[in-house]
Amino acid sequence: MTAAPAMATSAPGPGGQAALEVDSLRVCYAGLPAVDDVSLRVEPGQVAALIGETSSGKSSLALGVARLLPSSAVVTGRVEIAGTDLAGLPAREARRRRASLVGYIAQDAMAALNPVIPVGRQIAELFGVHRGMHRAEASAQAVRELARVRIDRPERVVRAYPHQLSGGMRQRVMIAMAMALSPPLLIADEPTTALDVSTQAEILGLVGQLQAETGSGILWITHDMGVVAELADVVAVMYAGRIVEQGPAGDLFDHPLHPYTQGLLRTRRDLRTGRPGAPLYQIEGSPPALSAQRRGCAFAPRCARRTEICREQVPELMTQGHNLQAGNGPSDASPSRPLAAAASPAGSASAAGQAPDARQPGPARADLLATGWLAACHHPEVLS
Amino acid sequence: MARTLIRRIAFGVIAILGVAVLAFLLEFVVPGDPARAIAPRAQSAAVLENIRIQLHLNRPLIVQFADYFGELFRGNLGTSYVQRQSVTSLIMPRLATTGWLALAGVVAEVIIGGALGVLSTLYARVRAVVAAVNLTLLSLPQFVVGLVLLLIFGFRLHLAPVTGGAGPAEIVLPALTLGLVGAPWYAQIVADQMADSLASPYVRTAVAKGLPDRYILWRHVLRNVLSPAITMIGMDLGAYLSGVVTVEVVFGWPGIGLLAVDSLQNLDRPVVMGTVIVGAVAVVAFNLIADVLRMYVDPRTREEPA
Repeated sequence: MTAAPAMATSAPGPGGQAALEVDSLRVCYAGLPAVDDVSLRVEPGQVAALIGETSSGKSSLALGVARLLPSSAVVTGRVEIAGTDLAGLPAREARRRRASLVGYIAQDAMAALNPVIPVGRQIAELFGVHRGMHRAEASAQAVRELARVRIDRPERVVRAYPHQLSGGMRQRVMIAMAMALSPPLLIADEPTTALDVSTQAEILGLVGQLQAETGSGILWITHDMGVVAELADVVAVMYAGRIVEQGPAGDLFDHPLHPYTQGLLRTRRDLRTGRPGAPLYQIEGSPPALSAQRRGCAFAPRCARRTEICREQVPELMTQGHNLQAGNGPSDASPSRPLAAAASPAGSASAAGQAPDARQPGPARADLLATGWLAACHHPEVLS
Repeated sequence: MARTLIRRIAFGVIAILGVAVLAFLLEFVVPGDPARAIAPRAQSAAVLENIRIQLHLNRPLIVQFADYFGELFRGNLGTSYVQRQSVTSLIMPRLATTGWLALAGVVAEVIIGGALGVLSTLYARVRAVVAAVNLTLLSLPQFVVGLVLLLIFGFRLHLAPVTGGAGPAEIVLPALTLGLVGAPWYAQIVADQMADSLASPYVRTAVAKGLPDRYILWRHVLRNVLSPAITMIGMDLGAYLSGVVTVEVVFGWPGIGLLAVDSLQNLDRPVVMGTVIVGAVAVVAFNLIADVLRMYVDPRTREEPA
C-alpha cells in the first residue's frame, strides 16, 4: 500500500499536529469500495481541495472522515482529526465530541437545514447541547455566530426559517453552524455548487476570512477547478475511489502529472480561452461503476497513454514535488501560498494554467508530461 | 395568510351549500311518503292529505326548496316531522355526544397509529409484525372490530358496559374501535414521514452537530411528521362528527349518527337535512382548523400562493 504522503509541502515540524490525517481509508458499500486506500493530510490553516467527478468517492471520503456514513458502510483505515481518532471513539463519546472536532458544510443548505425550525434555533441548539447554555443565552450566542459570518441584522435572521433566506444566506448559516464550536477541521462538500457565481465568490471570500481568523484546516470537496484555483493550497485529485495525484495547487495547475488531471485542466482551459463555438475538450468515456471489475488502473479505459501494464497494475500515487520512492524531501516544491494571495484574482489567474501554456507550448510540455506520467504512474524500476 | 384563510372559508361555505342542495334533492328522489311514516295506521286519505298540507308537502318542489333555504339562511333548521320540536334542539345534544366520541376516537388512533409507526421505523425487528397488524386492522370492517371488543371486554370479561349510553365508561370501547380501525393510516403516514425525515440531509446535519439521538428524534424528525398528521386528524374529526354511524349503532351510543339513521327510517326530512348540514359544517370547520394548525407547525405553508 502507498505510504501516507504529506499533502502539505510546508509541513510543520515534527511536533506539529495535522488538522486531519487520513491513512489508508477505505469505505465499502456492500463489499464494493467507494473509497479505496486513500491517505491525505490537511495542515491547520490550509485549504486542501479534493477534486473529482460525481461518484468518484469524494463525498464518501468526507462523510467517512466525519463518521457520518450509515452503518451499512464499512470503513477501515485511520482517521485523526487534530490528533483525535474520531472513528475509534465509542459512539457516545464520538457524538459528544464530533462537532468540536469537525464542522460539516453540506452541498445543499436548503435541504441540510431543518425546514420547520428557525435557523437561529438550529445554531443555538449546538450551544444548548454542548455548552449547557440556557435558551436565552444560546440564542444570543446564535446572533453572534450569524454576525460572524457577515449576515446583516442577525437578530432578525435568527427568527427566519430556511426557506425565507437566500441561497447565500443559507450557506452562511451552514458555515456558522459548522464553525460554531471552533473545530480544527472543516469539511465543505461542494458548498458553492448550488449558488450563482457572485454568491459563490462571496462565500469563498468569507471562508477565506474566517479561516484566517480561526486557523482551522479545510477539506474542500469540489469538481470546480475555478474554486480550487481560487482557494486551495493543496489539491488531491480523486478518480474511482482513489487519489491519483496530489500536491501544491500551483504545481498541480502548472504541470499536472496524471492524464486525468491533465484532462480536467484542459477542459477548464478550453472554457476560459477557447474560441466561441469551438468544441470543448472532453475526456472520452465515463468513470467506472462501483461494481466494475477492479484490476489495473481504473482510468486506463479512458487514458490516451495506456499500455498493457495499465490493465494489470494500479499505478503509484503521483505526488507533486515529491520523490517518495527515493526518500527525498520536497525538492522543487513551491511553498504553500497564503490563502489571501490565492483568493486574489491575480493569484488565481496565474494558478489557473494559462501561464504554463505560454511558457511551454506543444511538444515540450507533452514530453514532460509523458515522462512524469511514466515516472510516477508505473513501476519506477522500468525507468531506472 | 389571511387571504388564504378567507378563500378557504369561502370554498367551505360553497361546499356546505352544495351538500345541502344535493341532500335536499335526494330526499325527494328517495321513495316514501312522510305522511304515511308519521301516521302509519291512518287509513283515510283525508288525514294523510291534511298532514301533507300541514307540512307543506303539497306545494311544488321549487317552493319547498325556497322555503327551506330561506329558513336555513336565517339559521332555522326547521321542525322535526316526528318529534314535535326544533331540529336544532334535537341535534345539538347529539352533536356534543358524538363530539366526545370523535375526540376520544382520534386520540386513540393517533396514539395507537403513532406508536405503531414510530416502532416500525425505529426497530426493524417489529416492522413485519406492525405490517401484519396494520393489514389485519385495515381488512376488518368497523362493526366486526366493535362486536369483537364488545364480546371480549363486555360480555366475557365484564370490564365494559354493554347496555349503551353516553358515559365515561361507555366511551372506551367505541373509541377503541375507532382507534383500531383508523390506526393503520396513522401508522403508515408516520412511518413514511419518519423514514423520509431520517434519510434527509437535515438529519445528517443534526448528527454532524453531535445532537443526542433522542433530541434529534423529538425536535428534528417528529416535528416534520406533525404536519401531515394534523391534516389527517382534521379530516377524521370532521368525518367522525358528521356521524360514526356503524360504531354508534353497534354500541348504542346516542350520537348524531344514530339520530340520522332513525330519521332516515322515519322519513323525517328536516332532521335528516339537519344532520347532513351539521356534518358538512363539521368537516369544513375541522379541515380549516387543521390547515391553520399546519401553518403553525410548518412555516412553509404560511406563504401566500402566487
